[in-house]
Amino acid sequence: MNSDLNVSFELDGKTVEVQAGETLLAACRKTCTEVPTLCHDDRLDPYGGCRMCLVELEGAPRPVPACKTTAAKGMKVTSQSPMLERVRRTMAEMLMTEHTSGNGVQVDGLEECAKELGVGAMPIKFENPRTWEDRNRFLAFDPGACILCDRCVRYCDEVMQCTALEHVGQGSEAFIQPTDGASFLDTSCELCGGCISTCPTGALYEKQATAPIAETEATRSVCTFCGVGCVLDIHTKDGKVVKISSEEGSGPNDGHLCNKGRFAWQFIHHKDRLTHPLVRNAQGELEETTWEIAYSRVVEGLSAVKKKYGADSIGFLASSRCTNEDVYALQKLARSAVGTNNVHSCAAT
Amino acid sequence: MEEIENTDCMLVVGSNTTEAHPVLALRMKKAMRKGAHLIVVDPRRTWLAERAEVHLQLRPGTDIPLMNAFAYVILEEGLADNTYIENLTENFDEFAAAAKEWPPERAAELCEVSADDIRKAARLYAKTDKAGIYYTLGITEHVCGVDNVRSLSNLALVTGHLGRESVGVNPLRGQNNVQGCNDVGNNPVYFPGYQEVADPEAHAKFSKVWGKELSKTPGLRLDQMMDGMHDGRLKAFYVMGEDPVVSEPNAKHVESGFEQVEFVVCQDIFLNETSRIYADVVLPSTCFAEKDGTFTNSERRVQRVRKALDPPGEARADLQILHELAAALGDDWGPADPETVWNEFADYSPRFFGIRYPRIETFGLQWPCPELDHPGTKFLHEGAPMRGKGKFYGLDHVPAWEEPDEDYPFLLTTGRTLYHYNAATQTARSEGHMDKQDRCFVEIAPADARDLGIEDGSDLKVESRRGVITVQAKVTDAVHPGVLWMPMHFAEARANVLTGDGKDPEIGTPEYKVTAVRLLT
Ligand code: SF4
Ligand code: SF4
Ligand code: SF4
Ligand code: SF4
Ligand code: FES
Repeated sequence: MNSDLNVSFELDGKTVEVQAGETLLAACRKTCTEVPTLCHDDRLDPYGGCRMCLVELEGAPRPVPACKTTAAKGMKVTSQSPMLERVRRTMAEMLMTEHTSGNGVQVDGLEECAKELGVGAMPIKFENPRTWEDRNRFLAFDPGACILCDRCVRYCDEVMQCTALEHVGQGSEAFIQPTDGASFLDTSCELCGGCISTCPTGALYEKQATAPIAETEATRSVCTFCGVGCVLDIHTKDGKVVKISSEEGSGPNDGHLCNKGRFAWQFIHHKDRLTHPLVRNAQGELEETTWEIAYSRVVEGLSAVKKKYGADSIGFLASSRCTNEDVYALQKLARSAVGTNNVHSCAAT
Repeated sequence: MEEIENTDCMLVVGSNTTEAHPVLALRMKKAMRKGAHLIVVDPRRTWLAERAEVHLQLRPGTDIPLMNAFAYVILEEGLADNTYIENLTENFDEFAAAAKEWPPERAAELCEVSADDIRKAARLYAKTDKAGIYYTLGITEHVCGVDNVRSLSNLALVTGHLGRESVGVNPLRGQNNVQGCNDVGNNPVYFPGYQEVADPEAHAKFSKVWGKELSKTPGLRLDQMMDGMHDGRLKAFYVMGEDPVVSEPNAKHVESGFEQVEFVVCQDIFLNETSRIYADVVLPSTCFAEKDGTFTNSERRVQRVRKALDPPGEARADLQILHELAAALGDDWGPADPETVWNEFADYSPRFFGIRYPRIETFGLQWPCPELDHPGTKFLHEGAPMRGKGKFYGLDHVPAWEEPDEDYPFLLTTGRTLYHYNAATQTARSEGHMDKQDRCFVEIAPADARDLGIEDGSDLKVESRRGVITVQAKVTDAVHPGVLWMPMHFAEARANVLTGDGKDPEIGTPEYKVTAVRLLT
């Protein structure tokens, strides 16, 4: 980047340099200055709705949201002060009071933030009479946990461009719902689950999830459903998948997934999974057997054909969904162990 | 992939990106929000097509004339990049002569689009400095698939839209590891790392590495294997993770081929049509969540796959199965460890030498990556085309293998949908996905539906010269009259019962995209 495109300004008494167009929040993160955020997602347009990220700007009448303020030359910014601390605690306390329920399926960013600031809900009872049911099997919504930050709505509008969610009503009457209050299955929703991934409170969560996130172990891997190769995290508990998610910045997909990557994992534990080797018996039926017998049948079968017709009468076919290592081994089996170059896969593209 | 966001013009050809590659399409959507021009060439009005500045809703199988007409406009209006053509390309004259044959008015008639739209699209693409072409199976699954791709590369060459960020001709690959499969040698004419079987040096090298005198005879391609089952060249089949009876064209022909084969082994996580009927031995293996290894995505990025679970019952990792079988066949490969296997591949494949597990622990690397400290390669053809000079091709229209006629008046084309994946053995086992789409359908234009008295949602028989299937009618103006569209995912209504034997003569990719059919109500 050309240096005259850079902007230098003062942050907490130190001079910092960022690229033109970057926000004060980006600058804070670069210098490892802790500024809490809730409504901000790097993948969405700057919004400035929750006011958790307020900072002081010299000459400005009031604190400004760091996530929505573009750094400019010569600015003097204070990110930590007793006043800001007070404001942040008040904001967090109010939001915690609105946030009346939680389910633990997702990491609760609000609760973490409040804990960090040492506050909890105010001792007043906040009623949220709204309940929500939907017949789709992937997306669940808990209105009591929602703080109306609009991240889900903005994700659906800006990233998916599906406009399948809306923020309706005002003040204490406001709520989030699928367009026109319909089921997700009857709207333009594509069941990508991106709204879940951006929700900072866990109000939107995976219906299929079988355990709280805190009890799961995450394994980073790659989606197997198409050539985009999205990086994802498989959350498991007791040898079962609980849910699949993806972390922002972890791969070429930057935390985005489609409905297949995020939700199509039921097949892993499906009752139709093969659990034993099978061989065809004299009646022409497949029956369970041991690995030993299965292997010897394969060796016999391949050797007999090779002896009778030659190695080039045997063909090897690999799925383009196997790993590189599996496929390498298959072509080596064909070429080295059997002696033929008849190896190919289904799609030539 | 991120360079798509910074492009100023996208020419999307035969790719329903939002359904086939949803997350990649998010980058396109982002570019659109930033104001990039969008041109879509697709027989169907897809999500992207609906939002495109120009949608060329061409008749399936007429891509070459259309691209020639683009070139005609570019040459006629002086929009070519002459410096690029002079310094970095060859065979321009042949290409220019072929393009001359296709004025937009002539192409418009054959392709069933408007000549003005062709001119508008060609100008947009040529005049925008950062303009990229994106294509998928819609362009390759034809009798002239290779030439279709060449016709796109002609356009990039004539405008100099190559070798920089956010330009080029970008294939979007269908299955998740098609790239990797080819890379590691799952190909009848290449050893691992694209080293030719016919090259004596490569042959000597791999013979030495594996301690065996290897066969020098190039192998059979998939389509040749399918024919080989009939003509006696092929007597045994080892199928890992595939269901050729469902996925290959002309299903009846494939089935009668399997009848004649003497021995079939299937290694998979579920029983499928092929193994249920034809396998002599079925070996239970593992899904992606149950093993370690790597996948290579369509931008040539090698990424780590990690084991999160144990396989069910006695199922074993594919790698372990293959190693144990090799040993049983008298070929001892040592322990079945994914990293060791990858290292063997990388050690002897120069373009991959620098990619090693520790280097891709947190983020994948893109090959070519020849050295251990090489950063990987973001764009192929950087600066100049890889093969020295970019070659132009003079191309002409290639009629489909089977065109509609009086008896079979409709042109059927096939594709993928957002909610399912290929033969749907996995997505059909997800109830939530079946809620969205639980059965096979065929899209038909309102005018055709009216003529034949077909109602939306009614059952319909689609018949070709090879077979017949029953599907649900979906009446929609997303397709032109005379054209039908159908997804390829459903086992109980296999599109491949209908498809024929047409294939690209150079690489054997089957023609899934044009089949002549008739409708019976
Ligand atoms: S209050 Fe404003 S500045 Fe603070 S986090 Fe929320 S949106 Fe950002
Ligand atoms: S799942 Fe995706 S498409 Fe559906 S509402 Fe959420 S973000 Fe929008
Ligand atoms: S559901 Fe989540 S993301 Fe959406 S407004 Fe409520 S808290 Fe914000
Ligand atoms: S999550 Fe969707 S877009 Fe990403 S690799 Fe999987 S199938 Fe492809
Ligand atoms: S994060 Fe800045 S206002 Fe919400």
